[in-house]
Amino acid sequence: MHMADALLAPAVAATMYVASGAAAGVSIHQLKKEDDPQKLPTMAVTAALVFAGQMINYTIPGTGSSGHMCGGMLLSALLGPQAGFLSMIVVLTIQCLFFADGGLMALGANIWNMAFYGCFVGYYLIWRPILRGNSALSQRARIVLASVLGCVVTLQLGAFSVVLETSLSGITELPFGAFMALMQPIHLAIGLIEGAVTAAVLVFVYAARPALLRDVDAQGGRYSLKATIAILAIVAAIVGGGLSHLASSDPDGLEWALFGNAEAGYSENMGLDEEDFGLSSSAADTAGAIQERTSFLPDYAFADSDSAAGTTVSGLVGSAMVAGAAAIICLAGGFFRRKKVAA
Amino acid sequence: MNRMEKALFELHEMDDLAARHSAVHDLCPLAKLLTTIAYILIVVSFSKYDLSGLFPLILYPAIVFQFSGIPPAVCFRKTRFVLPLVLAVGLFNPLLDRTAVLRLGGVSVSGGVVSMLTLMLKGILALTASFLLMATTGIDRLCAALRQLRVPGVLVTLLLLTYRYVGVMTEEVGVMTDAYHLRAPGQKGIHHSAWGSFLGQLLLRSMDRAGELYSSMLLRGFRDEFPYVETRKCAGKDVLWLGFWTGSFLLARFVNIAQLLGSLAVR
Amino acid sequence: MIEFDHVFFAYEKGREVLRDLSFTIEKGEAVGLIGANGAGKSTVMKVLLGLLPCTGRVLVDGIPVRKEHLAKIRRKLGFVLQDSDDQMFMPTVYEDMIFAPLNYGLSREEADARVDGVLRRLGLQSLKHRHNHRLSGGEERMAAIATILAMEPEAVLMDEPTAALDPYNRRLVMGIIRELTQTRLITSHDLDMILDTCDRVILLSGGEIAADGPAGTILRDKGLLKAHRMELPLRYA
Repeated sequence: MHMADALLAPAVAATMYVASGAAAGVSIHQLKKEDDPQKLPTMAVTAALVFAGQMINYTIPGTGSSGHMCGGMLLSALLGPQAGFLSMIVVLTIQCLFFADGGLMALGANIWNMAFYGCFVGYYLIWRPILRGNSALSQRARIVLASVLGCVVTLQLGAFSVVLETSLSGITELPFGAFMALMQPIHLAIGLIEGAVTAAVLVFVYAARPALLRDVDAQGGRYSLKATIAILAIVAAIVGGGLSHLASSDPDGLEWALFGNAEAGYSENMGLDEEDFGLSSSAADTAGAIQERTSFLPDYAFADSDSAAGTTVSGLVGSAMVAGAAAIICLAGGFFRRKKVAA
Repeated sequence: MNRMEKALFELHEMDDLAARHSAVHDLCPLAKLLTTIAYILIVVSFSKYDLSGLFPLILYPAIVFQFSGIPPAVCFRKTRFVLPLVLAVGLFNPLLDRTAVLRLGGVSVSGGVVSMLTLMLKGILALTASFLLMATTGIDRLCAALRQLRVPGVLVTLLLLTYRYVGVMTEEVGVMTDAYHLRAPGQKGIHHSAWGSFLGQLLLRSMDRAGELYSSMLLRGFRDEFPYVETRKCAGKDVLWLGFWTGSFLLARFVNIAQLLGSLAVR
Repeated sequence: MIEFDHVFFAYEKGREVLRDLSFTIEKGEAVGLIGANGAGKSTVMKVLLGLLPCTGRVLVDGIPVRKEHLAKIRRKLGFVLQDSDDQMFMPTVYEDMIFAPLNYGLSREEADARVDGVLRRLGLQSLKHRHNHRLSGGEERMAAIATILAMEPEAVLMDEPTAALDPYNRRLVMGIIRELTQTRLITSHDLDMILDTCDRVILLSGGEIAADGPAGTILRDKGLLKAHRMELPLRYA
């Protein structure tokens, strides 16, 4: 689910950075209040382990394929939501900087999509209520339930955010509904697997050293497990129903309402036109103008364009010249380096 | 070579590249970070049909590769992460957006194809810029630059410490994975009976290690933050680098340079 | 320099790890702490460093090891851990070496000078800018020793300094230990190394001191060693 830079418009990327930055700020503040200096090395080592652990292939029984572990839920169950969130930020940053897994500009969005939901939503709305809720369920059952549910919900929210951010950025021609119909079910399956793996690890830790996990053996208090499950079920029904409506009935209508003229095959950025310099508000107009011109001048396109679409024959020729210049620079660089070595 | 070993190899590769010496390596990390951010922002801000406008921006990575001596092949290996996702998203474009925006001879090129190509080029350019930043600046110098940008010390210290242990943990996981597969030759991944214990054991050992690490830090005077090493302040040439490139990117953004060049040739 | 006076320690009630330990180490002495696995050697180190609480008195340079004196005491004691990965926690050797000096308030220039001095003395200049996670076991151990020496401690404590080292690196580490002038307390199973680097040996067994005397005497006493699950050094075997 790591997004590349190319999938986001600058304004969307900036917004996500602000959101993630705010969450990070709150987490740091909370951590300072806790004043537990040992937390820092624990966070670092656990984050490093999660980084490595996410590469492990777990064979899914019955199928030939493999799944992985959900870092966000694991970290928040071990370290708490704030420390878990900061740890995930660092994992995602290292993946971005050293492995090109996720873009530098998209890091804010990736942090939100993968760390925020996993650590905050996953912990406060799922892990804690389930672990602390009044119910006859055993600790192990609670851990499994919370892990699976947490991962599923986290990934659904994350996938939804990816679709939203990409669509808002006007990157893809894919209608919103169709995009969601592709992303959500896949991530539901992934969430179930990741949840199962995460549950297995946490159950093991519980059996070996329960003190490492948050909120275990801490029943009582104001959480009612039944109520939590009921609320989650209702939310799922509403969201699921809404999503399927989006995906099937009248996507064009919804798209028109949200994003502009779908038939032109072009998604207009919601109120972000001013910031996307040179982006025309109606591709249809431009396309029409081009077609007129091309029919008037049969064998090559207009010599100068009104620049809205940007790519013209002279543009292509110029691009070829630029490419040539780049190639010459590379060759020259190589030549001078060889000379230096020989000297 | 298992996946973890490959990851370690890539990590070491980046370390080695950053340890080299060149005009670019010697630049102040803050200047390089800001230039990279400006580049990516501007690349991504191009409209989806503006392929030729985007083209001149390939000159930045081309020039930096040459000045820094970093082999481009290493970078292109990393595009395997970017391209699939970008392709997956962009692949629908030619199917959904068939309005012709260009005619070449008798062939019409649809907007969808142009936007897909633009998307791919943006993806590659953005990745290349990030790669060049890290390949010419080590994690320690990057962290110092982040501190200069007032990123909170806790986060930067965490980044530094985690980076240090990523290698150790990846190696441990790699060794355990190999050991597992030597005893389970038929299996491709970890069997569900071992799902919990495989990572669980490692997790427990890591908690112990964290305890040792903490003792180690305490014994060397650690209180709450690490002292930061980079003292090289940004000098004239760093400002010049940042200014020149940012100016060039902005120029390319507002003036379609490729088109200008081309229009000299095409009448 | 170091004094243990009727020290007791237990992780949990009934499981005593250290029992009525009393010994003194003078300034400049090189003492080897030996014993079977589980005898309590590492615990002695941790109690001395204030990482574990205890009953009884532990004094470093006359200062009791108590919470309020820990910062002062830890400046005097340099501890080389058994697992260098736990010790070298910065990305590069250089950064690890200046970590403590900077924390102690030295200026950047002073810290740099110290680091360069230590590396020169040990002949380890090539390690300065290397990444810790790329070092071999031997290199990492030397880097750890250099890091501790950059603290300019008054006493150097070492936990299994030659563990997992090849013969060449083992010789190098032994050479470094021999040239130290600080008070030294070294735990190890490598009895030949202890013989070569320490004048005095304390044999720990079941949390108690079974013997305390010249290295040459204790390490020749086959009966004594065997009674405490130890064996003669290889050269006497």
